[in-house]
Order: sequence, then structure tokens, then C-alpha cells
Amino acid sequence: MGNGFQILERLLQATKIRHGVIVSNIANADTPDYKAKDVKFEQLLTGEIMNLRRTSPRHIAAYEAGPSGSVTAETTNHWEDRNNVELDMEVAKMTENSLLYQAAIHLLSTNMRMFKNALRRQT
Amino acid sequence: MRVFGIFEVSASALEAQRQRMNVIASNMANVHSTRTEEGGPYRRKDVVFSALPLTADPGVLEGVKVVDIAADSTPLRTVYDPGHPDADKDGNVSMPNVNVLEEMVNMMMAYRAYEASVSAFSMSKTMFLKTLELGR
Repeated sequence: MGNGFQILERLLQATKIRHGVIVSNIANADTPDYKAKDVKFEQLLTGEIMNLRRTSPRHIAAYEAGPSGSVTAETTNHWEDRNNVELDMEVAKMTENSLLYQAAIHLLSTNMRMFKNALRRQT
Repeated sequence: MRVFGIFEVSASALEAQRQRMNVIASNMANVHSTRTEEGGPYRRKDVVFSALPLTADPGVLEGVKVVDIAADSTPLRTVYDPGHPDADKDGNVSMPNVNVLEEMVNMMMAYRAYEASVSAFSMSKTMFLKTLELGR
């Protein structure tokens, strides 16, 4: 029953951390030596969600990865001040991430409403 | 993690960019100042930014702060103007090393960065308000 909630909770946590990372990148768009960072989402999510049984050894294993280990600095080429933040890219990423967050909130609300409905019909 | 840490990050960026804007405005205002309190012509100033980690976990939340306002050491401009009160024996005047074009470009960059932080701030706000709607 609670699996949907768990998935969405993970998704909310992940998008929240990613939002913080992107906002930090935007804040440091002009800081010398600063390197843009990002959260590797797939790692973060497959850790706990993909608890699937593998019928073939060639299937990809769902590996564990904590949120702390997933913030990585980007190593793309940089500006004169050794900073590699691209402001437009960061704003685009932020919008995309925010939509994902809002979608998760929406789904979580829908999930809750479904359970509420189910409880109400019982009497 | 602090609940409002994200807002702190954006706020620190807004403050830093505003300070940068102040310095740029001073540079442009003093493009012809041949006398200063320290003596000699005005030298253009530049802000120095540094990343400011807000969480124990490095790289997750990083604000920005102005660590220094440094004077530019590039040589002063020499202008021939014998009528100027600060002219030397040969009629040359040392003028500030401010390049108005450069300041304009810097100002636009500061403005863009400020704008980006404002939109980051309002997006964080939208997300927070959305969270409050959870379960309604």
C-alpha cells in the first residue's frame, strides 16, 4: 500500500536537494573557481524504488546510492575565471526540476485523496 | 538541512550582486575624479566573490559573499590637458583607470545574475507553497 507514497517521498527529497544545488549554482554564477554541481537523479532513485527480482544475470541491478554521494561537480570547460556555470542552462534545469517537484506533490495529493475516498465508502 | 536554506542562498546572491552594482556605479561616477581622500586619482574597484557553504554536506547549498573590494592596479590613463589644475609640468593629467565600456558590460552581467537569482527565489517560493497544499 505504502509503496507509492515511498516513491513519491524519495522523488520529493531528490528534487528538493537538486533544487538547492541548482540555486547554489545560480548564486555562484560569478564566483571565481566555483564549479557547477548537479544531482545524479537515476542513482538516487533506483537505489530504493527498483526493488525488482532479476530473472537474468544480464538485467541491471538496482543499486543503492544515498543522496549525499550523488552531488557531483561538472567538469565541462570553463570561463576565464575557472567557473563553469552556464546561467541559461541552470535556469532551464531549475524550471524542469520544479515541474517535477510539483508533479510529485500533485500525485501525492491524488494518492491521499484516493485513500480518503476508500475510507469514506467503507461505512 | 535548514528549511529556508534555499532562500538564504538566493538572498546572499542578491546582496552580493547589489554590492557589485554599487561598486560599478561608483566606478562610473568617478570616471574623471583626479583627487581622492587617499591622494592621487581614483582607481577602479572590483568586488571579489567567494562561495559560502551553508550545509555541513559540501556542495549541497552554497551561497555567495563579497570577501573583498579590491582596487584595480592597471596603469592610470594619462591625458594631455595643460589647463587642468592637477596637470604636471608637461601638461599631462593622470586620469582614473576606469573604462566606461567595461563598466557597462559588468553592469549588464550583474543585472542578469540578479535577475536569475530573483527567478530562482520565486521558483523556490512556488515550490514551498505547493508543498503546503499537500493533502488538501
